[in-house]
Amino acid sequence: MVRKIIFCFVFFYVLLMIQTSFLVCFKIWGMVPNLVLIAVVLISLLSQNQLLGMGSALIGGFYLDVFSLSTIGFFGFYTLILLLFSIIARIILQKYVRIPLFKRI
Amino acid sequence: MRMFRNLKIIVFLVLLIGVFVALNLTGFAKNIKNFFYSFSAPVQKTFWQVGKNTSDFLGGILEINTIKKELDFLRAENQELLSEIVVLKELKKENETLREGLNMELQKDFKLEIVQVISKDISQDSILINKGQKEGIVKGMPVITSQKVLWGRIGEVYNDFSEVILISNKQSSFDAKISDKEVFGVVRGKGNQELYLDLIPKEKEVAKEDLVIATALGGIFPQGLLVGKVKDVRRTDIEPFQTAEIEPQFDLKNLNYLFIITDF
Repeated sequence: MVRKIIFCFVFFYVLLMIQTSFLVCFKIWGMVPNLVLIAVVLISLLSQNQLLGMGSALIGGFYLDVFSLSTIGFFGFYTLILLLFSIIARIILQKYVRIPLFKRI
Repeated sequence: MRMFRNLKIIVFLVLLIGVFVALNLTGFAKNIKNFFYSFSAPVQKTFWQVGKNTSDFLGGILEINTIKKELDFLRAENQELLSEIVVLKELKKENETLREGLNMELQKDFKLEIVQVISKDISQDSILINKGQKEGIVKGMPVITSQKVLWGRIGEVYNDFSEVILISNKQSSFDAKISDKEVFGVVRGKGNQELYLDLIPKEKEVAKEDLVIATALGGIFPQGLLVGKVKDVRRTDIEPFQTAEIEPQFDLKNLNYLFIITDF
């Protein structure tokens, strides 16, 4: 678990570097994909471990807060939103979804 | 068991909110950001350069036809501009003579600070530059290019870095006028590198390709900085004012150095 969290720290950092410095040169219709957001959503939905989902949301959100400029002026906005998303997604998946895809990946 | 687990999550969330509120109130969040920017700056610069080179290369291949057309257009425009320069040089000489004659004081040049762009946040219409509080950068200072094209103004200032709010940012609005005409209005950002000139009196004539320059009216920017060209004019019978879409003159792709006006 600790190894996975450390991996998340490094992985999200690299994603953020690519997103803010590399991908901005390739914007399509004025938009740049938010890689960290996509990664956090996927991990939250597909991972079996709730702690990993929450951990990735916490790390990804924190990095987004650090590297995104002028997000409604509140540091912690992305962290809280992603954490809430991760928790709510887990509750919905546990209670209402019965698809093998979400059981083991 | 589940109840206890849920309680733990709620307590954790409340504590987290508390920590973030404290970070925002004490201003420590700025130090955290500054710390991360400090060791990320070299990596970001490298990624930026690689991205720019790749984008230029791919763009060149994909847009070869457009480039050819643009080249023809630019050649024609260059010819026109050259002839205009000749006229302007004559006018400059005349102006200088008039100033001397009237014993007027020439306008002082701006005090400038050169800065390098580190990263952009296109979705927020803002960029990050490599100078901050330590270099005397203060919130609100105008940011321009060497060609006196207006980019925006300083937003948040960190120890070694600053955020620049582009003029196309939705938070941005300032007084401007049409060059060579007595047509005043307010330039507002629409986001996504788009902006428009609002509150233009209905009876005033605004045409496509008119140049829009900043005025010193609101005290935000100095007089005469180039904002952009009029792209389209919208006029309706119902509204008392007309608006004009502006094509900004800043180019996010081809950008490395900018200037901050520290005194004007």
